[in-house]
Amino acid sequence: MPVILLNRLPLPNLKTYVCLSVLALSSCVYFATTVIKNPDWNKGKSGISNENETFNETDKFSGDTRPLRQYISEIFLVMVHEAVCVWVMINMACCCLILLGRCIQKLVFDELRISEQQHLEEKFWNFIFYKFIFVFGVINVQYMDEVLLWCSWFSLLGFLHLLSQLSKDRFEYNFQLSFSLTTPVWNHVKLLTLLICIFALSGFMLLISTFVGFFEGLNTFAFMSAEVILLSLRTVHVILRYVMHLYDVFRDGSGSVSNVSSSVWEKRGPVVYYVELVFEMSAYIIDFVHHLHMLVWSNIFLSMASLVICMQLRYLFHELQRRYKKHRNYLWVLKHMEQNYPIASPDELSQNCDNCAICWEKMESARKLPCNHLFHTMCLQSWLEQDKSCPTCRLTLNIETPMGGRVELLPELQNDPPQPTRRHLNHFFHFDGSRYVSWLPSFSVEVSHAQLVRPDQLVATNSQLDAMARQVQQMFPHIPLSTIVDDLRVTRSVELTVENILEGHVVPPPIFRELDVRPTVVPMSTNSRNSPTGDSFNVDEESSENWDELTSDNVDMEEFSGLGSRFSKSSSEREYMLHKRKEQMLRVARKKYMEKQKTKLDSSQR
Amino acid sequence: MAGSALRRLMAEYKQLTLNPPEGIIAGPVNEENFFEWEALITGPEGTCFEGGVFPAKLVFPPDYPLSPPKMQFTCEMFHPNIYSDGRVCISILHAPGDDPMGYESSAERWSPVQSVEKILLSVVSMLAEPNDESGANVDAAKMWRENRDEFNKIAQRIVRRTLGIPN
Repeated sequence: MPVILLNRLPLPNLKTYVCLSVLALSSCVYFATTVIKNPDWNKGKSGISNENETFNETDKFSGDTRPLRQYISEIFLVMVHEAVCVWVMINMACCCLILLGRCIQKLVFDELRISEQQHLEEKFWNFIFYKFIFVFGVINVQYMDEVLLWCSWFSLLGFLHLLSQLSKDRFEYNFQLSFSLTTPVWNHVKLLTLLICIFALSGFMLLISTFVGFFEGLNTFAFMSAEVILLSLRTVHVILRYVMHLYDVFRDGSGSVSNVSSSVWEKRGPVVYYVELVFEMSAYIIDFVHHLHMLVWSNIFLSMASLVICMQLRYLFHELQRRYKKHRNYLWVLKHMEQNYPIASPDELSQNCDNCAICWEKMESARKLPCNHLFHTMCLQSWLEQDKSCPTCRLTLNIETPMGGRVELLPELQNDPPQPTRRHLNHFFHFDGSRYVSWLPSFSVEVSHAQLVRPDQLVATNSQLDAMARQVQQMFPHIPLSTIVDDLRVTRSVELTVENILEGHVVPPPIFRELDVRPTVVPMSTNSRNSPTGDSFNVDEESSENWDELTSDNVDMEEFSGLGSRFSKSSSEREYMLHKRKEQMLRVARKKYMEKQKTKLDSSQR
Repeated sequence: MAGSALRRLMAEYKQLTLNPPEGIIAGPVNEENFFEWEALITGPEGTCFEGGVFPAKLVFPPDYPLSPPKMQFTCEMFHPNIYSDGRVCISILHAPGDDPMGYESSAERWSPVQSVEKILLSVVSMLAEPNDESGANVDAAKMWRENRDEFNKIAQRIVRRTLGIPN
C-alpha cells in the first residue's frame, strides 16, 4: 500500500513553514485593510454593495470607527474575492491543522519513536497519492470549488487516519515491546481518550457525508462514507484490543508471574479471535468494495488511475484470501481437536502435576493428545495451526487440511517472518514519459505492501545501535550500556552522545554510580583487538601485573555469592542483579583462566 | 498474544535466575523491552573454547513460544555453526515450517516445549562439538576438519578476548 515517492521533496521545517504562512496571511490582511480604507472599495459591485454603501456613508466622518465585526467581515469579503488570498487562507488552515496535530502529539504521545515516524510519513504520502488519484482520476473534478471541497474533506479524514494509525502503533508498542506496567496509567487514559475522540469525530463525519449524499446522490455518499466507516472500524478495533489488553494486564494484578486462572483465558481466546477476524475481514471487504466501486464508476479502464486501483484491488483480494484461508485452517484445527483430542479428566489433570508446556502456566482444563500429553486448548490450538505435531514428543498428528494437502504452507504466513511473502508483493512503477512524448515527465513510484520497517531492518538498526553503544562505552566505561543506548536512540550519532555525556546530560542511574563497571576489562579488550595474531602466550612482566590486578578484583566476590538464589520483585533491582551476576561470572572466569595460564607457564619454565 | 509471551518469558527468567545452569546467565538487559535478552555462556571445559565467557543476544518474537527466538553472539566468534556476524545456526532455533538447508527432520526443530535454558545448553554442546555438516561458517568448518591446531589457536585467542586479557 505505502507509496514511497522516490525523490522526496525538500520540505521546510515546521517553524519556517508556520512563520511563512503567518507572514503570508498577515500580508493578505494588510492588503485587505488598505483596500477597505477606501470606503468606496466595493462600489462597482452589485447586490449587497448598495446597502454597504449607505452604511459606509454614515461612517465616513467618524474615520475608522466602523464596528469591529463589520470591519472584519469586510476584510474577509475582500480576501474571498482575491484568488491569492483564498490560497493563503487555505494554506493557513493546513498550517493550523498541522499545529493541532503537533499539539496532540506533544500532549498524548510525547516523543515519537523512529518507526512510528516512518510509519506516519509513509502513511501520509500514501494517503495523498491515493486521494490525488481519486480526485483527479476517478471523480475527475472540473471546478476549483469542488477540488477545494474534496481537499478539505480529505485533509480532515487524513488527519484522523494518521492519528488513529499513530495510536495503534503506540498501543502495539506499549503492549508488545515493553513491559506493560512500565507505562503509567495516565498514558493509557490519554491514548484511549484520543481514540474515542477520533471515533466520535468519524461519526460526525459520517453525518456530514449522509447530508452531502442527500443532495449529491448515492455515489458521492458511498465514496465518502466508505472512508469514514473504514476509519471508525479501525479505531473501534484498536479501542477494543486496547481494552482487552488492559483487562488482561490488570486482571493479573502485578502483571508478573502470578498464576492466572486459566478458565477465564480459555473462554476469552475464541472471543478475541473472532473480534479480530470480524474487524479485519470487514475492513478488507469495505475497502475492496470501495475500490471496485471507484473502478466501475470511473468508466476509464485504460488510465493510470485505473491501473493503480487495480493493483490495490489485487492486493486487497490477496489479503482477503489469505485471511480466509487462515480462518478455514483455524476452524479445521478446532474441529479436529474437538473430535480427536478429548478434554482431560480431572483425574488425569491431577496425575499430571506439570504446567502446560507451551505457556508454562497451570492447567485447570486441558486437552489430551494421543500421546497422552496435556495442553491448554488455546495453546494447543495456536500451535497446531502452524505445525502438526505434538510439541513435547513430536508425534506427527494426522491432521489433513480442508484442502486435502498437509498444512505445510501456512506456517510461513503466520509464524515466521512475513518478509518472504511480502517482499514480492512490492510493485515498482516506472513511467518513462519521454519515451512517448518528449514533454511528458518520467517518474517512479514504489507501491509496497509491507510496513516500512521490516523486522530485519529493525534488527539491523538494533545491531547498529549496539555497535555504536559499545563504541561509546569504551570511552565511558562507568555509564551502563542501556543508558547509552537510550541516548543513542535519540541522537542517532556517536559524537552527539559523547557530547551529551561530556556535558553531563547523560548520567548513569543511581544504582550504577557507586559501581565501577569493569575498570580493567574495557581498555584491555581494545588493546587486544589491535594485535593481529595471538599465536603465542607471550606473558611478560606487564601482564603479570595485570594478574595481580585481576585477582585483586575478586575481593568483593563473596558479597554476591548468594545472588543466584533470589528473584527480586522490582525490575530495576533485577536488572542490577543480572548485571552484577554477569560481572561476577566474568571475573571468576578471568581469574580461573589466569591461574591456569600461570600454572601452565610455571610448568613449562621448570 | 503478547501477554502470554511476556508471562512465559517472565517465568523463564525467574527459573533461570533461581536455578541457573552451570556457566549460563541470561536475562533482559533492560526490562523496558522484555523481548531482547543478553546471555553469557561459559565455554565448556575440556574443549578449545574452555574458559571463555561469550556474550550473545536473544531476540524473541511477539508470538513466543510458538516461534523460536533469534540468537546472535555479540563477540567475535569462529565456529562452524556460527555465521561470521554471530548468528547461531542450530536446528532447534529453526521454525518448524522452514528448512533452509533441507537436512533437518522436523523433530529437531523448534517446538514451544523448548526454552531459553534448553537453547543455551544446546549452544554449549554445539561449542563443544561442532556439527561440520551444516556449515554456517565454511572457513571454520574446513579448518575444524583439516587443521585442528590452527582452529584451537584461534579459539583460544577469542577466549582471551572475551575475558579482556591481552594476547
